[in-house]
Amino acid sequence: MKLNIEGLLVYFPYDYIYPEQYSYMLELKRTLDAKGHGVLEMPSGTGKTISLLSLIVAYQREYPLEVTKLIYCSRTVPEIEKVVEELRKLMEFYSKETGEKNNILALALSSRKNLCVHPEVSSLRFGKEVDGKCHSLTASYIRAQRHSNPSLPSCRFYEEFDAMGKQVPLPAGVYNLDDLKDFGRRKGWCPYYLARYSILHANIIVYSYHYLLDPKIADLVSKELSKKSVVVFDEAHNIDNVCIDSMSVNITRRTLDRSQANVETLQNTILKIKETDAAKLKEEYRRLVEGLKEANVARETDIYMSNPVLPDEILQEAVPGSIRTAEHFVGFMKRFLEYLKARLRIHHVVQESAPQFLKDIFEKVCIDRKPLRFCAERLRSLLRTLEIADIADFSAITLISNFATLVSTYSKGFTIIIEPFEDRTPTIANPVLHFSCMDPSIAIKPVFERFQSVIITSGTLSPLDIYPRILDFRPVTVASFTMTLARTCLCPLVVGRGNDQVAMTSKFETREDFAVIRNYGNLLLEMSAIVPDGIVAFFTSYTYMENIVASWYEQGILENVQRNKLIFIETPDAAETSMALEKYQEACENGRGAILLSVARGKVSEGIDFVHHFGRAVIMFGVPYVYTQSRILKARLEYLRDQFQIRENDFLTFDAMRHAAQCVGRAIRGKTDYGLMIFADKRYARADKRGKLPRWIQEHLTDGSLNLTIDETVQLSKHFLRQMAHSIHDISNCNVQCFCQLNLSQEDQLGLSLLTLEQLQSEDMLQKIAQIAHQA
Amino acid sequence: MDDQGCPRCKTTKYRNPSLKLMVNVCGHTLCESCVDMLFVRGSGNCVQCDTPLRKSNFRVQLFEDPAVDKEVEIRKKVLKIYNKRDFDFSNLREYNDYLERVEEIVYNLTNNLEVEGTKQIMEAYQRENRDIIQKNKAKLTREQEELEELLLLEQQGNEQRRLETLQEEQRQLQAKRKSKQALLDELERSHVPATILLAQHKDRAAQLETQIEKQKQVVKTTIFSTGIPMGQTVSLLTVNRLEEVLYHYQPIHMHTYGPPVPELEQLGRLGYLNHVRTAQPQDMAGGYNSGLACHRAIQDAFSGLFHPLG
Repeated sequence: MKLNIEGLLVYFPYDYIYPEQYSYMLELKRTLDAKGHGVLEMPSGTGKTISLLSLIVAYQREYPLEVTKLIYCSRTVPEIEKVVEELRKLMEFYSKETGEKNNILALALSSRKNLCVHPEVSSLRFGKEVDGKCHSLTASYIRAQRHSNPSLPSCRFYEEFDAMGKQVPLPAGVYNLDDLKDFGRRKGWCPYYLARYSILHANIIVYSYHYLLDPKIADLVSKELSKKSVVVFDEAHNIDNVCIDSMSVNITRRTLDRSQANVETLQNTILKIKETDAAKLKEEYRRLVEGLKEANVARETDIYMSNPVLPDEILQEAVPGSIRTAEHFVGFMKRFLEYLKARLRIHHVVQESAPQFLKDIFEKVCIDRKPLRFCAERLRSLLRTLEIADIADFSAITLISNFATLVSTYSKGFTIIIEPFEDRTPTIANPVLHFSCMDPSIAIKPVFERFQSVIITSGTLSPLDIYPRILDFRPVTVASFTMTLARTCLCPLVVGRGNDQVAMTSKFETREDFAVIRNYGNLLLEMSAIVPDGIVAFFTSYTYMENIVASWYEQGILENVQRNKLIFIETPDAAETSMALEKYQEACENGRGAILLSVARGKVSEGIDFVHHFGRAVIMFGVPYVYTQSRILKARLEYLRDQFQIRENDFLTFDAMRHAAQCVGRAIRGKTDYGLMIFADKRYARADKRGKLPRWIQEHLTDGSLNLTIDETVQLSKHFLRQMAHSIHDISNCNVQCFCQLNLSQEDQLGLSLLTLEQLQSEDMLQKIAQIAHQA
Repeated sequence: MDDQGCPRCKTTKYRNPSLKLMVNVCGHTLCESCVDMLFVRGSGNCVQCDTPLRKSNFRVQLFEDPAVDKEVEIRKKVLKIYNKRDFDFSNLREYNDYLERVEEIVYNLTNNLEVEGTKQIMEAYQRENRDIIQKNKAKLTREQEELEELLLLEQQGNEQRRLETLQEEQRQLQAKRKSKQALLDELERSHVPATILLAQHKDRAAQLETQIEKQKQVVKTTIFSTGIPMGQTVSLLTVNRLEEVLYHYQPIHMHTYGPPVPELEQLGRLGYLNHVRTAQPQDMAGGYNSGLACHRAIQDAFSGLFHPLG
């Protein structure tokens, strides 16, 4: 279908369109026109991805000078693949409609682990090993050595690519990871480097967040992307945590010991090289004296370019004299390490700011701020000079040097917390130094400044105003879209009391209460009797889940539940969990019905969809607050209050509610889907909690569905499920109870939540659409 | 750290958790009790390397590697002498070279390379640069100054916050006490039944509570969204333009009551300049010429020459 969105011709590869998609595109277009940033919330399963893609591609074609590139960031590899498939569909539609061959190049980029075609390297199991091995075959100095000594091993794919691949650009088309690998195999080119090279002239890039947000990787991969790009962060409800993680460093005793070993290796290598090849060290020394930046030639294959964001003026400056020669630098690192070791030898918790740390380090071991700032840069140069092939071993010392650079560069937004032991095991000494970033805007700032439009979108971004605040940017559009439905296919219920009128809550004071646990058990039991197929239940933490399940077992509740459905449990172990998931799906598939007990913030709650019969009900036991006693969190809350005027409670509730919304949102993955959403905690009924749920859930949360008892919940659920089990025709014109479960047919939705082109162009529909976007 | 021990008496940290290891200038360790025993007379030789040592120079070992302790000790000493700052140098390159020289000296002293030569260099340097060393003693490097400033700011911020919360608490406490007192007074005097009074009081207390809650929630903003701190007055009014008459120079008219003073231009022609010292080229560079001084002297001489009496 061809759409006209405020004068822009958009090709949409489906015959029908949801009204909210139209509205979404409208907002998106306005954002692009304004060359600003946007925050857009639209429920999952309403076709966010295709709306985004078709509009931005159309925009690109219409105004090729305004928008040159689309950078689409997603979280996981399967999500990346999904986006590429949608894109392929769109491109096919284009070539069918316009009849011409399109010249758009779109490709996905992932790590070497996913793209390597070298027979030996690709068979390694861990990403780090693959990177290290690849590096040992393709680093510039190794290749230089090979000129004199051709017997050294090489990667023929890389050699081939280097020789031939750069002259001819990748032919236009849509490439997912497998396509790239196929192409690479056919041509004999390395797909990873091909992809990295091609993103410079590709029209659409799909890759993971980290390629933009993690300063170490972004510097390497995304440095030369043009300013006139549109950046989309999909599923961005957790983006602040990604930002923070990418800037934080944790140092344990083990890290220090390993870096100690690294330093010794460095020292020995320096000695050896001094005897054999002193000229090399001299050459490095000369370069550092001159303050020359390394020539760009060798950069591509050297991983050492990982560079925590440094102000540019520092990079232009020469390395300070005190760490210029290799020996001095090694001595410097030794002192730094010994200092850190001494700091870790404590018996109580220490929290200090970066300036305090710098002052202390100067007093104790006479280390100035400036050489610290150059630490990462200097180490990289040394590693390259020493031609150490296997960089995987040096991750510990690299981490330490990154820490040194970060701590001396940023005086604000970071805190240093040294804990002598973990909170759970106060008797076992296990000191950790957390260098924790408290300001997500530091990592994402370059992105906002660099690119003309950045779109943050997800199914759950409520409350919308908090994201611009914590990420410190000014959006031009902030909008939330609801799902237009032909029938109310989601039914959120807040259960506040048990049948014995005891309040149900996971509040800390009452969470061990026998009555609460029993009531939770009763709720699950009742639901297992009436809900068909799959139920997913979320707890607030693993420990809480263990406690509850143990006492359910003692009370015999589990036994009763198992009469109705099978029970599967998520554990911290990824392999076990995926096994449980597989079996759960099998049980749902063959009609036995199953219950999956899992944890909010866990693997299941973030990435796994429970479409149709895999999740007919989601029960959220308790409010998933973070562990508030953690010092890192406390420091961050304090920072938020002081810098951004966000109250502690607001942030905690916001964080808990976005996770709750993520969990319950697992069940509804489209308009034909239906599901119960049960919030089992009386605190959900409060306005401050309820108001932070996404609008598309809030809309269906009436006063009548608040603070229910278990009995009432069962009544309402039964009614809802019976209604849903009918197709719409049956409800309207037949009285006979019909137990067959029909899928919602298209005719039922047409004109309401599904539109043809003619319907879309009608006057009153356009009016309705205008109301969908809820400007925050 | 557990496996560290005294090389002389072989006590380890594991067996004696209160073991204190000491380190002297040579970088070798001894435990506290051994130090007390061996250095009763205040001085002696190192057990391991026979360097003559003084008891007063023993320090508690801070780091796992005693070599680092030694290096830090030396470094502190060296930095006391080599205390030039970056602004003592004309460019960055020289400063960096200087830093490297310092590093070289520390390295040599720590690893016992050319100790004598290095010491001589140090002494020579100290003799040459006595003034600068003395002058720089009190000065901090620019970066350290920055750090100090940041720390001060941080401290002030913390103090401010602490005071604010303290005041807030005080205020709330007072308000509660007042309402309680008011209730007692009313119970004493008023004729209304006590139950009603109590109910009223309860209402009031609840109101107070919500008010406090509200106040708590209102976090004071300290900066505007533009990044300008509040309290700093930024006037947005246009500055009024002051209409003033331009200054007009009027030459001073001197009255000497006598013959006219020769003008500056005439001095050379009238031959006055022959009697004064001619200006050196160095003087001329700054715009000086001999006429200026001569003219002033003549003005001096003429003024008041014929001053009328009375």
